[in-house]
Amino acid sequence: MAVPVLALRDVSKSFGATQALSGMTLELFPGEVHAVVGENGAGKSTMIKIMTGVHEPTSGTVEVDGQPVTLSGPRGARTRGISAIYQEPMVFPDLDVAENIFISATDLGLVQRKGLLREKASQLIARIGMGLDPDRVASGLTLAEQQAVEIARALSQDVRVLIMDEPTASLSAHEAGELRRIAKGLAAEGVAVVYISHRLEEIFDIAHRVTVIRDGRHISTRPIAEVTPDGMIAEMVGREVGNYFRKDESHATPEVLLSVRGLSQEDVYEGVSFDIHRGEVLCMAGLIGARRTDVALSLFGIHPATGGTIHWKGQEVRIASPREAMALGLAYVSEDRRKLGLAMPLSIRSNVTLATLGKVLTRWGLLREGRERAVTQGYRERLNIRMADADTPVGKLSGGNQQKVMLAKWLETNPALLIFDEPTRGIDVGAKAEVHDLIRQFVRAGGAALVISSDLPEVLALGDRILVMREGRQMGIVPHEDASQEAIMRLATGQERAAA
Amino acid sequence: MTRALGPWETFLLAVLVLVYAANAWLSPEFLTLQNQVNLFQLSIEKIIIALVMAFVIINAEIDLSVGSMMGLSACAFAAMVGEAGLPAALACLLCLGIGLAGGVLNGWFVARMGLPSLVVTLSTLIGFRGVARILLEDRSIGRFPDWFNALGQRGLIGPVPLGLLSFVLLFVLLYVVLERGGFGRKTYVIGVSREVAEFAGLNTARHKILIFMASGLVAAYAGLLFAARVGAVRGDVGQGFELDIITMVLLGGVSIFGGSGTLTGVGLAILIVLSLRNGMSLMNVTGHIQTGVVGLLLIASVLVPRLGARLAGRVPA
Repeated sequence: MAVPVLALRDVSKSFGATQALSGMTLELFPGEVHAVVGENGAGKSTMIKIMTGVHEPTSGTVEVDGQPVTLSGPRGARTRGISAIYQEPMVFPDLDVAENIFISATDLGLVQRKGLLREKASQLIARIGMGLDPDRVASGLTLAEQQAVEIARALSQDVRVLIMDEPTASLSAHEAGELRRIAKGLAAEGVAVVYISHRLEEIFDIAHRVTVIRDGRHISTRPIAEVTPDGMIAEMVGREVGNYFRKDESHATPEVLLSVRGLSQEDVYEGVSFDIHRGEVLCMAGLIGARRTDVALSLFGIHPATGGTIHWKGQEVRIASPREAMALGLAYVSEDRRKLGLAMPLSIRSNVTLATLGKVLTRWGLLREGRERAVTQGYRERLNIRMADADTPVGKLSGGNQQKVMLAKWLETNPALLIFDEPTRGIDVGAKAEVHDLIRQFVRAGGAALVISSDLPEVLALGDRILVMREGRQMGIVPHEDASQEAIMRLATGQERAAA
Repeated sequence: MTRALGPWETFLLAVLVLVYAANAWLSPEFLTLQNQVNLFQLSIEKIIIALVMAFVIINAEIDLSVGSMMGLSACAFAAMVGEAGLPAALACLLCLGIGLAGGVLNGWFVARMGLPSLVVTLSTLIGFRGVARILLEDRSIGRFPDWFNALGQRGLIGPVPLGLLSFVLLFVLLYVVLERGGFGRKTYVIGVSREVAEFAGLNTARHKILIFMASGLVAAYAGLLFAARVGAVRGDVGQGFELDIITMVLLGGVSIFGGSGTLTGVGLAILIVLSLRNGMSLMNVTGHIQTGVVGLLLIASVLVPRLGARLAGRVPA
């Protein structure tokens, strides 16, 4: 254990003004399973991308066998024996297992010899101990089998460092166990395995050492024996809270606006039950893969629920399309501004009136441009949108201002319940505080808000109650008085489950 | 969606002025009223369809079946009037109905079944043409009523025939709808992102079906214009027109990926292509070379903005 096979030394990475990693240090030794844990957005993905040569560090060095190197692209990393597999494996559905394993092999000659290919594939599959037929077509493989193919592909290239990024997030418990067994086996052969997972029990099952990162910084690296779940969670969330984010008193009224019972969607989520009162902010916390967005999409009629009931103002309703949801008084501020929220090349004003176009049309269906400009100007002042003029393409605004334009679009529909999905992801701290104020103003004025957020300080600052989900299941609802980052993380990671 | 001419429209206008000036200088006949009417008349079916094709492409779809629909409408008209002896006016209405029905067919498969419009309209390109061929086989059918032929061949208002009048009126109408109307706004939004539109509660499927219906209707109308203008119809009417039509729309600055472009640009591109071809004809340049020149123009229209953007420095995505 003298020389690390791969090491990051004081690595920083920034994207524009965003500092994704600062002074990150990590050493990987042959034969160890090294778990890396951190909240969503802590910098894990950036770190992986630097280790696999996708990004170059802004400063600091990457060392292989003690020598500083420049990993020029994923191919460069692979030739040095560094491979990564992800939650969503990359297999070519029309090729068979053997062809998938050797997809990037260059030493097999121009004409692939089927027999040789299959023989080599069988050896690799045997090495990871999976019973897989090399002739099977990949489209019929389960997710776990696809990941095994990816691991075999990495082995075919003499892997020395295997990075596994949430490999088990979409797998069943049994499949996840199989995958961990493979990872352990590889480590026993001398491969350095980086294991990233939100499932703490997995980490205690598999890891030799654990590194905690937070806000792009290295917090600690310890042998697993010296780590406790609570200690690890405390390190993951342990930043100072309360500077920007202060919870004001609840404005919840006794009037129930939305009542959801046993809501479920086959194979996605199940048993989600909650009430939202007028004047209340209900937050939904959870880790990636908790399926919170899927619940929101059901409420908004995009992917209707297949089970359970929804009551709106005391009436049972079925919501089968966004139009129906909007007619009731729901609005959904999507997390994905680019894909689902805004028409980026179009003007600010056409985005503001997007969901309420009828209000700015004449009887003949012509646009009343003056009215449209006035509406946009109103939101510009009310939401403090910084923009040159209403004809600027919305894509040219900063993330925070885009978020406000999206909010304006939905406020213009005059909703009773606003569903926010990660309302402050990727926007700066100042804009964050403004968005929080807008949410509070909205509920004070008699609305209600359902806020999905992976940002725990935000959840604590906004939520009158906090619903925690984990892998499609509701783990509990925590009133604000009892909520702490640690309590939420324990539910979100499955360390405990509150009485519903 | 901007008031003034955008950079591309300005560029097209400059090219148009250049082409007109060169033509006028090289050929004394170019600027005569009769030649100017002819210039439109020879391609009137294509340019009428192109105006609606702009909507289709801005909506991020494509309609390859317009040439075949035009042929189907013309052949159906010929079969009904020339062979079955139906009154021409009734036959016109029936043909327009065929156009609408074909549009509904295209739109339904694209918008409700979620199939790519490239595939759907390629199929109907073959299907519509097949029906047209079955109707007329190898025959050429003429002998339409005089009033019908007159509509296609003679001036309706002064020297302006029905076709050119239709084009001008349709341009004005569609300009208002696209650049000033709620329907046009939705067309752009859905073209940029159908998902964004859907999440904002717009009925994107209905919108797309309406656009395909308009496309079918106008193609059928163009087929009737052709029958009247030429006075005889064969099974190959309108064959291959879809490529010329799409070329004009793209040259007009409409993005093949949807969401951007203006009807002004398409109008200018139409004028450029027509006057180029007309000028070359007056100078006895053959049709093949004319097609080559138009092809080069299209390539340039794709390259120039990109080179411009690159020279101006990389624009952050």
